[in-house]
Amino acid sequence: MKVDKSELTLYSRIFYLLAVCAVVALAGRLRLRAVDRLPIDYDEDDYLRSAQLIAAEIQEQNWAGLQETNYRQEHPQLVKIAYGLAIAPLDRASLIPDQPTSASPAPRLPEPHYQIARKLSALFGSLEVLALAVLNPLAGLFLSIHTFTIKYHSQIMLEGLPSLTSALTVIFYMRAKNKLGMPIPNLWLLGSALFLGLTASGKYLFAIVGIVILADGLITAFHKRSWSPVVILLGWGLLSLVFFFASSPYLWPDPIFRLKESLLFHRQYASTAQEVQAAGMPPWQPFIWLFGSVPWHPGVFTVCLDLIITVFALLGFRSLWRERRLFALWIIIALAFLLIWPTKWPQYILILTFPWSLSASYGIRDSVWKPLIAWRGAYKQKTKMPASYSNLWRAALMLLPAGLAITAITFYPLFFQGAMAFTDFSAQSLRDGLNGGIWREFFRGISMQVPPSEIDISPFASNQAVRYVGLAWLEGVYARTPDLVFFNLMWAMLAVLLQIGLGIGTALLLSQNKLRLKQFWMVLFILPWAIPEFVGALSWLQILHPQNGWFALSGRSFGEIPGNPFAAAVATWQSNPLSVLLVLLVVGVWMGFPVMMLATIAGLKTIPRDIYDAAAMDGASGWALFWQIIWPMVLPLLAPVIILRMITAFNQFYLFYVLNPPFGMATFSLVSYFYVKEIGLYSASAALNIFNILILIVMLLYFNRVSGANKGVQYV
Amino acid sequence: MSKLSFRKQILSQLALVLIGAFVLLPIWALLNISFDGALKGAPVELRLFPEEFSLAAYIRVWTDPAQSLNFLGLLRNSLTISLGAALLSVIFGMTAAYAFARFRFPGQRGGLFALLVGTLLPPVALMTPLYILLSQLGIRATLFGLIVVYTSFTMPFVIWNMRSAFQAVAKELEEAAFLDGATLFASFWRITLPLALPSIGVAALIAFIVSYTEFAIGWLFVETSSNVTLAMAVSGLMGTSRAWSNMAALSVLMSIPVVILFILLRRYLISGLLIGALED
Repeated sequence: MKVDKSELTLYSRIFYLLAVCAVVALAGRLRLRAVDRLPIDYDEDDYLRSAQLIAAEIQEQNWAGLQETNYRQEHPQLVKIAYGLAIAPLDRASLIPDQPTSASPAPRLPEPHYQIARKLSALFGSLEVLALAVLNPLAGLFLSIHTFTIKYHSQIMLEGLPSLTSALTVIFYMRAKNKLGMPIPNLWLLGSALFLGLTASGKYLFAIVGIVILADGLITAFHKRSWSPVVILLGWGLLSLVFFFASSPYLWPDPIFRLKESLLFHRQYASTAQEVQAAGMPPWQPFIWLFGSVPWHPGVFTVCLDLIITVFALLGFRSLWRERRLFALWIIIALAFLLIWPTKWPQYILILTFPWSLSASYGIRDSVWKPLIAWRGAYKQKTKMPASYSNLWRAALMLLPAGLAITAITFYPLFFQGAMAFTDFSAQSLRDGLNGGIWREFFRGISMQVPPSEIDISPFASNQAVRYVGLAWLEGVYARTPDLVFFNLMWAMLAVLLQIGLGIGTALLLSQNKLRLKQFWMVLFILPWAIPEFVGALSWLQILHPQNGWFALSGRSFGEIPGNPFAAAVATWQSNPLSVLLVLLVVGVWMGFPVMMLATIAGLKTIPRDIYDAAAMDGASGWALFWQIIWPMVLPLLAPVIILRMITAFNQFYLFYVLNPPFGMATFSLVSYFYVKEIGLYSASAALNIFNILILIVMLLYFNRVSGANKGVQYV
Repeated sequence: MSKLSFRKQILSQLALVLIGAFVLLPIWALLNISFDGALKGAPVELRLFPEEFSLAAYIRVWTDPAQSLNFLGLLRNSLTISLGAALLSVIFGMTAAYAFARFRFPGQRGGLFALLVGTLLPPVALMTPLYILLSQLGIRATLFGLIVVYTSFTMPFVIWNMRSAFQAVAKELEEAAFLDGATLFASFWRITLPLALPSIGVAALIAFIVSYTEFAIGWLFVETSSNVTLAMAVSGLMGTSRAWSNMAALSVLMSIPVVILFILLRRYLISGLLIGALED
């Protein structure tokens, strides 16, 4: 997507321009629609009140008053001044009352002030889309339809302006670099500093783009072995501080104290505010926001593709890192910050939706566009060669038994499951379902003979017959399970990573020459793999059971031990999302590391001895030996095992069944089983399964592409 | 790597002891409770060793594992179902696996992809459709019905692995047989199959384990207590009110044969796993 402008023909320039215009028009349209339809949210009254106070000072031409007017002083002043300027020409409305931040949203706000302020925010949001669309129209399209971005840009919130200026900060910095990738002092860099200052006085959080740029500068300095980027960025940082103070009149009378007061609030707020505590969100909650569209306002957002954007952003991240490292750094630093920061409000994810959308456009290029081109090329080539139909007949005969069997008992049920997801088949309509009701309704539904019915899942529903419900279940699963999708992926990823770590570590220990008791340890370490999964989980339950496990009992047997908070913390692991994850990971690693260990041992045997000796001659240390020789030689062998383990972990059932973590922290398999066994909602379970399989197929295609680089390596 | 120094030997052994402790911890917890004769229900105090060592729980579950069958009856059901599923998967899949391994034909890539999708299906994805299908055929609650259910879980995986096993046998061997006038069938039967047999055995063993240890979906299908398997019986003993010793003892009993098999066959198992590589 890196376009060299000089090579563009006139037509493609016009097309480019049209695409940018179309994207910005769409962005504006969607944001205005949201301005009209979104209900009044928390905090909107606070910021509008703040704007009213500032507008009053402006109307009286009392510019010095700005130095003392900053209602909700924990947030910087610039966006409030912008709102104040926007409503200053209007007639003054009665002042919105001062209420605590935890108060429920105001029932009504003064018109048209409220509309005007919202539209101003939407304007900033649309301009952000414009900035991205100029860079890459497809990415701009993604940003324009991202529902969380639309929501917080179409309300009287603080996000609009700093979103725009933070994007400009990074873009201007990118422009300030010379051909060697070194930032040089020029007007672009000055602009970058200006926008960073404005960003910080818009909302502190967005100033992390400053950290991103510093990180990029440090990396550049390291690669080029030159101090000049660091020096230049130092000047740039000081300049942006100047701009920050210049754009925050409230700080002028007493800069240090007021800034400290304002910043300290956030730390206190995170640890003491009731609304933060009550939310009880897991550390990874921001990721969950990224994995779904805004769930609170049905009917406001016409397209809900946030999950799709996230999937493509993940798929495109590798290319983004290679081709536009600055934006990849932005994503990494923003994600790390969101993960660590204790307050988890959904609007915070807006600090990264800009690079996220860009990454998604790379994902489209890598995972849709390129394969399509390659497929077309391969298809054209293939049609030139005669297909070997002679083999087909011989093969057909041999394929017949398995083909029939597997179609009958695996693929037909799979399609049946797909059809079921379009109905409301449940325990109440079991009889009808057994008599062919599912296919009947499915075909009547997709041939438009019957309209989709409403889903009625109350236990008193009297639907004796299966009914067609259209895409209702599938849409429901798509829209309502961001926590499950994210947890599943995170679980599979972390569990397998830890398994690889412990597995390789153990294998390296065991592969040492002349190690004593080698066979003994090997047999011992295989045990977790040999023991059936649910028996392994049952074993851990003896230790981890919240009432009767070792940790819980240790408290009871010795009285409440004040000196042993660890046991108490482990015993109550089910009450806190982070400890649930840790406990599950410990058990997951226990179950999975032996396979990795065995595979690595097998792989190590294939490395010829001479290589070690040669490396030793060159004086390679243990660390270098591992990363330069062992890892690259063992990885191709491990790749298939890793993929298998990922899929196994993604589908893991018994571990969760036995240990029984809280709802929302389980695999799709378990939730789907729960729907069948406990609730009897077979159709909901079917929709969950179909969704699960789609994710697995995407994962498989991705792995296939990534490990395609290793093609040609013979396994074993 | 040269010979280990004494210091390295000690450090390595220490690290291995730590990992060993991690591995043994839950196993010990289970064994501990299974040998605890004093335990009536759930444990109410922390005991790292049995208060009184006894085999009572083992004897109890041997004669009366809280099902209408005794241990041997449950084991017979488990073996019937698991061996049945493994054998069905191998027998039905063998020729197809060979065709995928040896021939190039139109639709091959599509077929392989479908097979791969089949291997990554979670078993729960098929439970309701199979329930309806087998009910319509009138075999849902029979042992044969369960065999069919488990075959549907294991067959794609077994075919995939057998294909890799056949591919690992050098094609030149077969071509030499053709030159000597052997038919396709003869060369398959006399040369390729015997050479691939160890890997096929591993695939079958993994299929066996899947069926042997499954209970959640099995419970949905079984109606009569005479068709209950060992794994289902263990899950029947789960729950805080029952004697935890019985559950522990039964799960230990059912794990022993599998564990022994794994330890004996560990070399073949890992090569079987690696051969099932997704090399396409």
